[in-house]
Amino acid sequence: MIRNYIKIAFRSLKKQPFFTMINMFGLAIGMAGSLLIALYIYDELSYDKMFADADRIYRIDTDIKFGGSERRSSEAAPPMAAALEQDFAKVESTVRFRDQGSILMRNSEESTNSKERGATFVDSTFFKVFGIELLSGDKETALKEANTLVLTKMVAEKHFGKDNAIGKSVVLNNEDTYIVTGVIDDLPKNSFLRDHSVFMAMAGNVASREDIWGSLNFFTFVKLRPDTDLDNFQVQLDGMFEKYMVPWAQKVFPGITKASFEASGNYVRYYTMPLTDIHLYSDRNTEMSSNSSIQNVYILSFIGLFLIFLACVNFMNLSTAHSLKRAKEVGIRKTLGSNKKELIAQFLTESGLISFFSMLIALIITLIALPFFNDLSGKSIALPVANPIFWLVIISVTALLGLLSGSYPAFFMSRFKPVDTLKGGSQNNVGGGAVRSTLVVFQFAVSMILIVGTLVVFEQLKFIQNKDLGFEKEQVLLINDTYAAGDQLRAFKDEVLKLSAVQNATLSNFLPTPSGRSDSSFFQEGDSEQQNAIQMQEWGVDTDYLRTLGITLIAGRDFNKQSVADSSAVIINESVLAYLNLDAQEVLGTRITEANGPNDIVPYTIIGVVKNFHYESMHQNIGAVGLFLNKSSGSMAIKLKSDDYSGVVSSIESLWKGQAPGQPFNYRFMDDAFNSTYDAEQRLGRIFIIFTILSIFIACLGLFGLASFNAQKRTKEIGVRKVLGASVSQITFGLTTDFLKLVGIATAIALPLGWYVMNKWLQDFSYRIEISWQILIFSAVLVIIIAILTVSYQSIKAAIANPVKSLRTE
Amino acid sequence: MIKITDLEKYYATEEVRTIALNKLSFSVKTGEFVAVMGPSGCGKSTLLNILGLLDDPDGGSFMFNDIEVSGFNERKRAELRKHNIGFVFQSFNLIDELTVFENVELPLIYTGVKSAERKERVDAVLEKMQIMHRRKHFPQQLSGGQQQRVAVARAVVNNPKLILADEPTGNLDSSNGNEVMGLLTELNEAGTTIIMVTHSEHDAKYSHRIIRMLDGQKVTENILADFKSSERPLTTEGGTLTPAEVK
Repeated sequence: MIRNYIKIAFRSLKKQPFFTMINMFGLAIGMAGSLLIALYIYDELSYDKMFADADRIYRIDTDIKFGGSERRSSEAAPPMAAALEQDFAKVESTVRFRDQGSILMRNSEESTNSKERGATFVDSTFFKVFGIELLSGDKETALKEANTLVLTKMVAEKHFGKDNAIGKSVVLNNEDTYIVTGVIDDLPKNSFLRDHSVFMAMAGNVASREDIWGSLNFFTFVKLRPDTDLDNFQVQLDGMFEKYMVPWAQKVFPGITKASFEASGNYVRYYTMPLTDIHLYSDRNTEMSSNSSIQNVYILSFIGLFLIFLACVNFMNLSTAHSLKRAKEVGIRKTLGSNKKELIAQFLTESGLISFFSMLIALIITLIALPFFNDLSGKSIALPVANPIFWLVIISVTALLGLLSGSYPAFFMSRFKPVDTLKGGSQNNVGGGAVRSTLVVFQFAVSMILIVGTLVVFEQLKFIQNKDLGFEKEQVLLINDTYAAGDQLRAFKDEVLKLSAVQNATLSNFLPTPSGRSDSSFFQEGDSEQQNAIQMQEWGVDTDYLRTLGITLIAGRDFNKQSVADSSAVIINESVLAYLNLDAQEVLGTRITEANGPNDIVPYTIIGVVKNFHYESMHQNIGAVGLFLNKSSGSMAIKLKSDDYSGVVSSIESLWKGQAPGQPFNYRFMDDAFNSTYDAEQRLGRIFIIFTILSIFIACLGLFGLASFNAQKRTKEIGVRKVLGASVSQITFGLTTDFLKLVGIATAIALPLGWYVMNKWLQDFSYRIEISWQILIFSAVLVIIIAILTVSYQSIKAAIANPVKSLRTE
Repeated sequence: MIKITDLEKYYATEEVRTIALNKLSFSVKTGEFVAVMGPSGCGKSTLLNILGLLDDPDGGSFMFNDIEVSGFNERKRAELRKHNIGFVFQSFNLIDELTVFENVELPLIYTGVKSAERKERVDAVLEKMQIMHRRKHFPQQLSGGQQQRVAVARAVVNNPKLILADEPTGNLDSSNGNEVMGLLTELNEAGTTIIMVTHSEHDAKYSHRIIRMLDGQKVTENILADFKSSERPLTTEGGTLTPAEVK
């Protein structure tokens, strides 16, 4: 029986190649889109779950408000881990990371450095807490001694080839020699450690043993015992402030108490962040690796479900529309004795076959699209072809979709009365019109919202890229890690300045591109009230800084090379003025002090004020910055005259090789560095585009189906109208406007909603566009044009049909 | 008014060619009431479709008021049709979504009559057909006889010169059928030319002349009543149309 069903199903699908193709392709597109999203979400949800006991590992986060500045840190004070372990029996073990960012590393027997990303000091409990096994070395002793380190397999092989790295030594940053005591496997891409490859023994980090509760620079993880009550643990955490922080603070600010600290509106709060939640829920000022957000998961889940749902609905609509053509077949089958059950089985077999082939096409589309999608989403997802569960899911989804999308047409058609269908009339009273119309409205509303979203994201990106940043980012070459040149750095800068293509160059430790930074507390001279503290970034620069980056001085003067006194001078930005309640002219000559310790207070004189410039992404307001003259050497910014970038870069590189042989030459253009700040937004924008196109495509298929359904349903009416003298254009117009009404309703729903949603998104930016009415109008017009194009094919086809055929009743 | 000569029409499927009209010739004078009879498949409906300018003949000549219309394109046919020809079908072919009034109003909309005049003319014709009290009802709410009266009203609202009726009583009981035939006779007496396809000898007796067909050819012609012609000019939107203008 089933074989007979399949045989007939094949034939009837083959008889209608166009219809079958549209149906299959539409379903396949929806399946492929949803599959991609499902893989993406599966990956997003898998973060950090691979660690043993991941469910009872927590990070200690700290919220702090002090001196007018607030910080939401994912780090804790250095003594926190030991204190927790000592005070609470529920704490099974702890581990701290002190991130060092990138370092230069070389095999001690060689002279060429290479740059390694993600070096960190880590406690020797690292292996125990995360259940990480060593490929070679002994995990009991690997990170016990100072100046020992553990490398990932990739880095170990890079420096030592296939040789056993254990016991060999490496030199870091041209200074410190470390012995390799262990090699671990490369860390999974979906773990918070994915960017880390060098783990140095914490014993070599002096700060890790200091009893300073005020600095937050250790990522601290605790593993709790299985039966720990988290609420109870939180209560204990709350007590840490009074027990440890206050006694420590009293050493710096004598007389301070918990009450007086909190009375001035300040606070210090500790929280636990589950390890497996970090990737999707943690959004703090510093993170060990960049995180995603659960919101993206929700948005994408919605889009994924939307795609597959619509693909199914459209399949139903198309099949139902198509079924009118087969009414006669049903009539004959019934007359010949086929019962309803057999008919339903027949039609379900057909939809099952379509679903099956659609899934095949969808898998092929997914395979082809995956590399692009990975590029777009910054992931490395693969189809888990080796996983039987994956295939089980695929097969069940295929069957389910076939059943779901085939059910309505099957029941609908099997209900036809043979007498009516054989006479050729009377399938006019088909129900469900309101449902079909609602679905069209829904599809188009969502498509329109997606279009509005895409346009707003791109407008905002354009706005950011064209906004006056307060400094010049074009034609600026950045050379990172210039400290590697050591004493030769000044000579290198002088040589660079001699190049004809170079206009200016500056050495500094901070540039107006996003990087890790921290505030320091300053006070107006004579004042040490903590609530009056000026929380200000401290950037070390040289005398060429303002000139090279084109930062505008609005009062006072730039640093002077000849003036010795300028070593205790500071140039502030406009944001600092708010702390001092002075205007740019009045503030000149004001002295501010920095307390490095109880008896170490350093005064600086304000000599200039610069216009505010954007140094973080436009999500943030511009904070207070002070520029200090010092022998900083972190990176060099070079302002170029010419556009011949490759020529200049290679001559600068050869100068670098001359002054710093064996040191890596890392350069970037500042506008690239700037653009990468908005990677997340660019990615969002591109993902928006893809799924917008997909959703419009599927919506169009749906509309196409509905239009053909309606045109068939109204064949007789159209015939009558034509006989009565209606012209082709009148009929086409009439049929098209019916659908445009639906699209009109969709517009009325989508535009306000799209406006609202995207306004919410824009709230995240401190500097943002207003959503213009042009964007809304454009989206609406675009959708309407697409709808007209989709519908007019069916409408025109119906309108030019000869009425003689549609009115024939014999 | 109508003169067809050697009219031919074929229906071809992939393998078989069926001849629907085989060198058919006859003419109809203005004001005449002609019944066309014959067994199923003899080509009656094909003939009616061609006469109604819904279909194109494959050969022969079709003069409509001395204008050769057999080569006309769809647009020209539609133009001529909507000003001059009214249709009455066996299955009424009313549009279910429109009310009685709106159904009758349709031809006037397509010929571009202004709304106020439309209302007047529709009301007048509904009054004449004695269906005024049903003007706001939908077709399904009416009896078959009432539906056919609406269809006739719709066919005549534009004052066509020619009414083509395809088994107008086929779906009606005899009393309703007689009523419809009475209406058609009245219209004919008022000067409208009528060509009616029918199976019913009873209905055919209302006509002046019966043309009997078999296998696409005219077999016999019975003259039932005396008829005196009074030619009226063909009109379009603007008024009188001469043969030269149509070409």
